[in-house]
Amino acid sequence: MRRKTSFFVILILLLSPFFGDVAFAQVQVRVRVMEASNVGSGFDSSLRDLHDQLGSLFSFSSYRLLKDENVSLSSNQPVSLSIPPERSLELTLINQHRVTAEIRVRITRQGRELLTTLVRLAPGRSVSIGGPKRGEGTIITALSRPQ
Amino acid sequence: MKRECSSISRLLEKYFDQEVTPEERSLVEGHLPDCSACRMALDTMQNLRILIKNPVEEAVEKETFPWVWEKIEKGIQRKERPGLWNFLKSWLDVTPLLKRKILIPAVAAVVIVILITAPLLYKKMSSYPGPSVVEYVESETYNVMVYELETPQVTVIWLFEDPEEESSTS
Repeated sequence: MRRKTSFFVILILLLSPFFGDVAFAQVQVRVRVMEASNVGSGFDSSLRDLHDQLGSLFSFSSYRLLKDENVSLSSNQPVSLSIPPERSLELTLINQHRVTAEIRVRITRQGRELLTTLVRLAPGRSVSIGGPKRGEGTIITALSRPQ
Repeated sequence: MKRECSSISRLLEKYFDQEVTPEERSLVEGHLPDCSACRMALDTMQNLRILIKNPVEEAVEKETFPWVWEKIEKGIQRKERPGLWNFLKSWLDVTPLLKRKILIPAVAAVVIVILITAPLLYKKMSSYPGPSVVEYVESETYNVMVYELETPQVTVIWLFEDPEEESSTS
C-alpha cells in the first residue's frame, strides 16, 4: 500500500510541470524599443537575438536600444508604459493556454489609438512592431517572453 | 445343469452385482449348493472382476489428473478477478525472469525513463508556438502588414505611413 502511494506521488510530481501552466499565472514580457536605421552600423549586445531575427527580413545596418523593460502581466490587468516617440504601449493578458499567453497590445499617441493587436506569445517567441519610418530611422518595439 | 438353471443363470449377474431382491437372493442361494455349473459361472465372474479391477486401480493410483487441477485452478482464477495493480504484481511474480525482488528496480527504471523523457516532452510542448502568433491587427491610422516566418521564427507587424492620414495630422 505504501509502495503504491509513493508510486502515485512520484508520478504526480513528475507530471506536474505539464499542468502547472494551465493555471492562470503571471506572465513575464520583455519590452525592448530600438531605433533601426542605415546610419552607422552595429547593434547593442542585448539586441543580438532580435538582430538575428530581423536581419532575415530587413536590411538595417544599425540597431540602437532605446528602452528595455520587463513587465509582469496578470489576467485582464492592463499594464501601460511609455515608448518613444511619445507613444503609450498597453499590454493586457487576455488568456493563457498551456504555456502560450494571449496578449492584447494597444499603442496610442495622446489618447488616440494607433494600433490594436492580439498576439500569442510562447516562451522564447517574440513579436516586433515597427514603422512607420521617421527621418533616418524607424522605431521598432519588440515584445518577447523569456524561456 | 438343472432345469431351473436357465432361470437362475439370468439372475446370476444381478446377484453378483448385488442388485437382486431378497426373494431372488434366497432363490439363487438355495440353488447354488446343488448346481456346480452355476457355481462355476459365478466363480468365473469373480475372477474376471479381479482380473480387470486390479490393473485399473493401480493405474488410478498412479494418475494425478493434472488436467483436473488445471480446470479447477482456472475456475478459481475466473472467480477472483485481480485488480490492475495485483495483475501487474502477479505478472512480475510469475514471469520466470522477473522475480519479486525486481519490482523495486523496475519501478525505479520507469521513474528514470519518465525523468528523462518528461523534460524533453515538456520542452517540446512549451516551444510549440501555435499556428499563428498574430491573432488580429487593427489600425485606423496606418496601413499594416504582418510578416511571419517560421525559420527563423520571426513575427513583425509593420506600420506603413498613410499619406492622407499623415497630411491631416501634420
